[in-house]
Amino acid sequence: MTLIVDIGHRLGDFAIDASFESAGRLTALFGPSGSGKSTLINLIAGLIRPEKGRIAVDGRVLVDTAAGAFVPMHRRRIGMVFQDARLFPHLSVAGNLRYGRWFTPASERYADMDGVVDLLGIGHLLDRRPAKLSGGEKQRVAIGRALLASPKLLLMDEPLASLDEARKAEILPYVERLRDETKIPIVYVSHSIAEVARLASDVVVLAQGKVAAAGPTGEIMQRLDLLPAEERGEGGAVLDTTVLRHDESFGMTVLGSPAGEIRVPRLARPAGAPVRLRIRARDVMIATDRPEGLSALNILAGTITAVRPGVGPTVEIAIDCNGATVLARITEQSKHTLRLALGRKVFAVIKTISFDSATTGPGLPIEADG
Amino acid sequence: MTHKGFGSGAIAIGAFAAALMVAAPAARAEDKVIVFAAASLKEALDGVNKACEADVGEAATISYAASSALAKQIEGGAPADIFISADLDWMKYLSDKKLTKPDTEVKLLGNQIVLVAPSDSKVEVKIEKGFDLAKLIGDGRLAMGDVKAVPAGKYGKAALESLGVWSSVEGKVAQAENVRAALKLVSTGEAGLGIVYATDAHAEKGVKVVGTFPEDSHPPIIYPVAQTADSKDKEAPAFLKCLESAKAAELFKAQGFTILAPSN
Amino acid sequence: MNWLLDLTPDEWNAVRLSIKVATVAMLFSLPPGILIALVLARGQFWGKTLLNGLVHLPLILPPVVTGYLLLLTFGKRGPAGAFLAEHFGIIFSFRWTGAALACGVMGFPLMVRAIRLSIEAVDRRMEAAAGTLGANPLWVFATITLPLILPGLIAGSILSFAKAMGEFGATITFVSNIPNETQTLPSAIYTFTQVPGGDDGALRLTLISIVISMAALVASEVLARRVGRRMDIE
Repeated sequence: MTLIVDIGHRLGDFAIDASFESAGRLTALFGPSGSGKSTLINLIAGLIRPEKGRIAVDGRVLVDTAAGAFVPMHRRRIGMVFQDARLFPHLSVAGNLRYGRWFTPASERYADMDGVVDLLGIGHLLDRRPAKLSGGEKQRVAIGRALLASPKLLLMDEPLASLDEARKAEILPYVERLRDETKIPIVYVSHSIAEVARLASDVVVLAQGKVAAAGPTGEIMQRLDLLPAEERGEGGAVLDTTVLRHDESFGMTVLGSPAGEIRVPRLARPAGAPVRLRIRARDVMIATDRPEGLSALNILAGTITAVRPGVGPTVEIAIDCNGATVLARITEQSKHTLRLALGRKVFAVIKTISFDSATTGPGLPIEADG
Repeated sequence: MTHKGFGSGAIAIGAFAAALMVAAPAARAEDKVIVFAAASLKEALDGVNKACEADVGEAATISYAASSALAKQIEGGAPADIFISADLDWMKYLSDKKLTKPDTEVKLLGNQIVLVAPSDSKVEVKIEKGFDLAKLIGDGRLAMGDVKAVPAGKYGKAALESLGVWSSVEGKVAQAENVRAALKLVSTGEAGLGIVYATDAHAEKGVKVVGTFPEDSHPPIIYPVAQTADSKDKEAPAFLKCLESAKAAELFKAQGFTILAPSN
Repeated sequence: MNWLLDLTPDEWNAVRLSIKVATVAMLFSLPPGILIALVLARGQFWGKTLLNGLVHLPLILPPVVTGYLLLLTFGKRGPAGAFLAEHFGIIFSFRWTGAALACGVMGFPLMVRAIRLSIEAVDRRMEAAAGTLGANPLWVFATITLPLILPGLIAGSILSFAKAMGEFGATITFVSNIPNETQTLPSAIYTFTQVPGGDDGALRLTLISIVISMAALVASEVLARRVGRRMDIE
C-alpha cells in the first residue's frame, strides 16, 4: 500500500502542512496532542476537506484540490476506528458489525463475519447491546465493524487512548494480529511511544502541524530528539529478531538478531517466531573492553557511528552492531572519561531483565515485569 | 434617607396605589355601556354608537357575534348591559330565565333574508315555490349560519322549508358560525351561493343579491333589544333611548334595516 | 356507561371524523415536519430566523385568522387551492381534507419543536462513523439519525394528534361545520352548546374527546419508553 499525503489546511488558529509517503503495513502518525495527527487522519478519511493538497492511496486519488477532485467519505472504502468506539446504540453488536458490510458492493466484500469475529474474540457478545459492553469490548467490536466494511485502508485514531493499562494490554495483540494476519494496510494515530514502537512498521512524526520525520520505525525510534519529553525514557533502538530457542532451566528465551544473540525473559512464542524488540537507550551501558564478571547477559560488539548531545547531562551514542543500530544514553561525563568517539570499537551491555512486555512483542504478556 | 423620611414616603406610595386600585374597577364597571349585538348589526350599530356618544356621555363597547353565542355568554354571567338579538327566540331564552329587564324590551328593527352570490357570479334565479335551488348550487355549497342556532340560519331554513326545497338542498349546506362568516364564504368565492340578511349584502361589496326571499316564507325577522337584569350601568337606559331616536333610525335605514319601534 | 355510549349516528360520525382528520393531519405533517426540523436544527443560512418565525405563526395567530388565511390560499379560488384541484384533483373546500389541513397546520409548530429538540440531541459523531462505513448522507439519515430521533418523532406526532383533536377556530372558519364532512368533535360540541338543552350532548362528546386524547397520550408514553429502553442511551 502506498499512501501519499501532501496537504495544507487551516482549522481555526491551527495550521497543518504535512507531506509524506509511506508504503508500510502499519504507518503510525506519532506526535503530542495538538500536533495535528487527528486532523491528518480525518483528512485521509474524508471527514474534513483540505484547503489545498492531494491524498492518494495505492494510486487512487482521494482528494486533489488542484484538479478539483474529492471523493466523499462514504465512497473512500476506508474503515475507521475512533477513540470513543462510536457503536450505534440502537443496534446490537451483530447489527453494528453488519452495518458496514451492507454498504459494501458485493464484488468488493472480502471480509467474512466468522473470521473477523474469531480474530477479535467477540463471538459471545453478538446479541448484546453496546451499552452493556466494557470499554475494551466496545473497541474490539468497533475494530470488527470497520473490518467488515472490507476497507482498502484501515484508519485507527488513538483507539487505545481512553482505555486503562489492562484493557490496552488486552487489545494490543488484536491490533498486531490485524497487522500480521490481514492484508489491510493500517494508519495508526498515537501519542504513545510504546504503542508505536510495538505496532508500527513506519512512523510519521508530527510536531505543530508539520512532519518532523518519516521513515521505518527502527530509524525513527533512534531519533530521541523527536520524542516529547515525557516519552524520552522509552526511546531506543527497535530490532526485528527471531526466537532461536528457549532456555527452560533458567526461564529465558534467546533471540537472534544481526547484532548477535539477545537473552530476554521467557516469551510464550515458538521457535522461529518473529519478535520485535525495543532496547531502551537508558538501559544500554557501554564498555570499552569486553566485560567479565558482570551480571548482564547481553554483550554486543559494535562500532560507534554517532554521538549526539542529549537532554541535561546525557549524550546519545549510536552503536552499529553488525548492521543493527543500538542506542545508548549515558552521561557526558562517562563519554569524556572513556574517551568515546566516532569509530571507536565498544560493547553495548544490556541487562536481560530490562526487557519486559512493553518492549517485546507481539506476544502474550509475560509474568516477570521489568 | 432618615427613618422618618422613609416612613412618610412609603405611606404616600401606599395611598397612591390604593387610590388607583379603587378607581380602576370603578372606572370599568360603571362608566362603559357594554352591548352584546347580533353580528349582522355591525356596520349600522357602529355608526349609531358614534352618533349616540354625545347623548350617552361616551361610546359604548360593543361585542358582535351570533345571537346564540351571545345569549349563552349572558347566561354564563357575561357583564353585558344591553342585548340586541337577531330573533325573538334568543331574547325569550333569556327572559324566560329572568335574565332581562322585561319592561325594557323593545322590538327594534326588521330585516330581510336574501340569496347572494359572489359579485362576479353569473347566476340568475327567481325565488318561488319549488324553485330548483339544488341545481343552482350544483356540486358547490350553500353557505348559511348554523341552522339550529344562528337566527339567520334558522330563518333561511324556515324559508327553504316553506318553499318546499329544503330537503333537496339540506346535504349541500355549509353551516358557518355566524351570518358574517357565511357572508365571507360567499365573498371569497368559496361558496357559490349563500343566505344572509339584506343588510349584510348591502355591507359587503364582494357579494351581490340574486334573489330576495318572500316575507311570508319565514317568521318575521325581528331584532329585539333589552337591558340585562344584572346591568347596573347608569348610562344604559340613555343608550337604549338613543337606539330608538330618529337619528339612529336614519342610520339603520341607510344600511337596509326596517324600523319597527316608533321613534321618539 | 350506557349514557356515554348512547350516541346518535351524527355524533358517532363526528367521533369517527375527528379521529380520521387527526390521524391524517398527523401523518401528513410528519415528512415536512422532519424536513423543517432538520433544516432548523442543522442549517446555516440567511432567513433561518424568518423560517422559524413562520413555522410558529399558527401558535401565535388567533386560530380564526389562520383559518381565514387558509381560506384565501387553499380555498376554491385561492392560488394553492386552485392549482392543487386542477393538477392533482385535491380539494380542500368544504371537505374533510380541508379540516385535516387546518388541524395539521395548527399542530405543525408543536411537532417541529419536538422533533427539532431530538435532532439537536443526536451525536453527530455517530453519523460521521456511519459515513466512514460507506453510508451516504441519505442512508445515514435513514439508518442512524431517524432511529435515534424516534422518541422525538413520537412526541411530536402525539402533540400534533392531540392538537388536531381539539382544533376548532381554524377549522370552522376554513371549511365551516358540515356534519359527516367537516363537523369534527369540537365543532359538534360547539353546536351543542349553542342550542338550548344541548348541554347533555355537549358533555357526552366532551368526555369521549377526553378519553380518546388520554388513550393517545398513554400509548405514546408506552411507545416512547419502549424505544428508549431498546437503545438504552446513557
